[in-house]
Amino acid sequence: MNLHSSWKLGTVALASVALLAACGSKAADNKAKDKTINVAEASNLPSMDISKATDVVSGKTLNNTNEGLLKFGKNSSLHPAVAKSWTVSKDGKTYTYKLRQSKWSNGDPVTAQDFVYSWRRTVSPKTASQYAYLFDSIENAKSISSGKMAPSTLGIKALDKYTVQVKLAHAQSYFNELVANPEFYPQNQRVVEKYGKQYGTTSSAMVYNGPFKLTGWTGTNDTWTMVKNKSYWNAKSVKLNKVKFWTVKDNQTALSQYQTGKLDTMTLSSTQVKQYKNNPDYVLRPTASTFYIEMNEKKDPIFKNVKARQAISAAIDRDQFVNKVLADGSTAAKGLVPTKMQYQDGKDFASVAYQSGTVSYDLTKAKKLWQEALKESGQSSLSLNLLSDDTPAGKLTTEFLQDQLQKLPGLKITNQNLPFKTRLARSEEGNFDLVVTAWGADYPDASSFLDLFAKGNSLNNGKWSNSEYDDLVNKADVTDATDKKARFNDMVQADQLINQQAGVVPLYQQANGQLVKSNVKGIIYFPTGAQWDYSQAYLTK
Amino acid sequence: MAKYLAKRIFYLLLTLFIVITITFFLMKLLPGTPLTNQAKLSKSEIAVIYQQYGLDKPVWQQYLSYVWNALHGDFGTSFQFSDQSVSYLIGSRIGPSLQIGLQAMVVGVLAGITIGAIGAVRQNTWVDTTTTVISILGISIPSFVLAVLLQYFLGFKLQWFPIANWGGFMYTILPTLALAASPLAESARFMRTEMVDVLNSDYIELAKAKGMSKAKVIYHHALRNSLIPLITVVGPLAVGIMTGSMVVENIFSIPGIGEQFVKSVLTNDYPTIMGLTIVYSVMLMVVLLITDIIYGIVDPRIRITGGSN
Repeated sequence: MNLHSSWKLGTVALASVALLAACGSKAADNKAKDKTINVAEASNLPSMDISKATDVVSGKTLNNTNEGLLKFGKNSSLHPAVAKSWTVSKDGKTYTYKLRQSKWSNGDPVTAQDFVYSWRRTVSPKTASQYAYLFDSIENAKSISSGKMAPSTLGIKALDKYTVQVKLAHAQSYFNELVANPEFYPQNQRVVEKYGKQYGTTSSAMVYNGPFKLTGWTGTNDTWTMVKNKSYWNAKSVKLNKVKFWTVKDNQTALSQYQTGKLDTMTLSSTQVKQYKNNPDYVLRPTASTFYIEMNEKKDPIFKNVKARQAISAAIDRDQFVNKVLADGSTAAKGLVPTKMQYQDGKDFASVAYQSGTVSYDLTKAKKLWQEALKESGQSSLSLNLLSDDTPAGKLTTEFLQDQLQKLPGLKITNQNLPFKTRLARSEEGNFDLVVTAWGADYPDASSFLDLFAKGNSLNNGKWSNSEYDDLVNKADVTDATDKKARFNDMVQADQLINQQAGVVPLYQQANGQLVKSNVKGIIYFPTGAQWDYSQAYLTK
Repeated sequence: MAKYLAKRIFYLLLTLFIVITITFFLMKLLPGTPLTNQAKLSKSEIAVIYQQYGLDKPVWQQYLSYVWNALHGDFGTSFQFSDQSVSYLIGSRIGPSLQIGLQAMVVGVLAGITIGAIGAVRQNTWVDTTTTVISILGISIPSFVLAVLLQYFLGFKLQWFPIANWGGFMYTILPTLALAASPLAESARFMRTEMVDVLNSDYIELAKAKGMSKAKVIYHHALRNSLIPLITVVGPLAVGIMTGSMVVENIFSIPGIGEQFVKSVLTNDYPTIMGLTIVYSVMLMVVLLITDIIYGIVDPRIRITGGSN
């Protein structure tokens, strides 16, 4: 080997070392440079069809890849999106939205007609949308979805290319909160018709007008990526290039991947919450859902007696349950309506409505009330079955409740944990004594909960009924529909009444614990509907 | 042989038809609806949607139209994956399940044969004890426990393999090992027992007496003859792996079909339940048919000659 070639060899060796070193450091901050975050998802993405999607993953993906007239921000605040401004008529029945000039990812302009087309498509019974009921307040919607009128009669019109006018059957003060949900997004008729049955079943059989575009989704696979949408009207405010989703069904696997840096955020199981709640990466996400007990007044007339219902409510130590038994970040219910969902002048609805004593633990009082109720019903003892889901949380709930409720004199509880669909069928048939039910709000308004127990609602399985309550709900929905303050007060009173009367027994508000890497900032979370917005997220370092 | 095959295939189709019929009517007895948003829908809203899917018709009519469509290759669309056809759903997710299952079978059975044979040859020595212990462990440790252990030590701690997900051969190694334990143990135990029997038989004595080397005796006579009965257990084992891989698929985030099988039942996803029932039944029956055919080939005593049997 001559000097020349050994020199050459040395250079190559040096260069390789340098290259290797570069690779090492590159791997570390590759993600920050690529502006990519990796998100764990517990289930698959089943649909991107705006009219048909029903689950959280679809909602979240639609919310980040598409955009409606308005959008949610932090604390469910409303922000202009495709609509740059809007007006509401005095009677609260006509909403007019002025659209900005914006584009679909295929270059088509997003026009008023896209909204008209989309809403008609969802309400049409042919589409068989499971969310058509959200449109019920719009003129003729109910008749259309039950097949009595043509979809073209729906109360939405394109006044011109960039003006949408919506006519409601009755004033609905939270209509804009509905409009911000993915079900109300526009759809590009040309694209829907081009793909026909395939529309929304893969990332390419779809068109996007939101901050990101979906790629790499075959319809059934376990990973998909949202990439920045350059034709989005506000693209310069979007800081991430990519959000990569990985379906990881096992929490322990997700945690290992989080710890090795493969994932930037993941949702913890309840046992993991116990271990990680003091970790600096830990974030608690309260959902707008309440778990409550429904008591079957038809099957067990004793529950027509307010004392019996109040006894059940007072016999349950909710704090002990959420802190010691469930311990997954969920909080004891303050009432039927969950906290951190609806605000008025900066005040949280549930905190305003909260009255101590209605949902607090008092065993002495409970025993006394129960004894009186038993006596008044002419019984000396009672055997009831308690129905719930067969999930780990469902089993913990029935075990805990059984122990607590059997402290009431003469009460024997048998637990029954069934698969969700079976449990639901039993609830609807009224084939239960006590059932643990969960309700999650579709939109951030207390009426989402309160309407359930008003007269004539078929989802009220316990059949509790109260005319004063019906009046309050009616006032909020009709008389005071255009007066935000009065309406808020009506609903506060209704919530207080159902809690005092123990029309249902609220147990806890569900929350999810998450880990988020400390260099990931700006993910927006709101507790209803699509829940997640990554458009403002960014990476530090 | 051809006559025998035709007869077996006829029975296979008949069985399949019976399975489809029973599953269809049992499935319709499940309480609840296939709608994912059922908890929020009123009865009249459900009725409107049911009409669109033809679910408002009497069950026997639904059955007939299902069979008719299935005969024309249309297995319906899934409810969980809205608008996704069931054949696409199964087709796109069955690959990884089959790959992991086959790899686990090959690794497990080959290793099992080796371990079992060694145990039999070195009967009643420490080697034999070790192989017995291995097979007992393989049977008694559930595959999901093994999966978690492998994932933690080889994936998380040592980082030799990816922890989870799907993306090339490296990703298949840990799930394959986790699933291979049970066929390994099963076939090792079977192999050892058979081989001990064979080694004690007269023709082995004769071969030894003729002066054949030990290696030749084991390889040519003992091993081959011990393998015959193993064929009968391999078939059911293979099907066991196909259906039992659900938990392992979840732990390693494999985009397979295992979970859909259970989830479709829990969510009343009727077309998916039917589609998967058909796929699994066909797999089981085909595996059993192949086993019988191979059995006939390797064991002349039960060779099928057609005509009367």
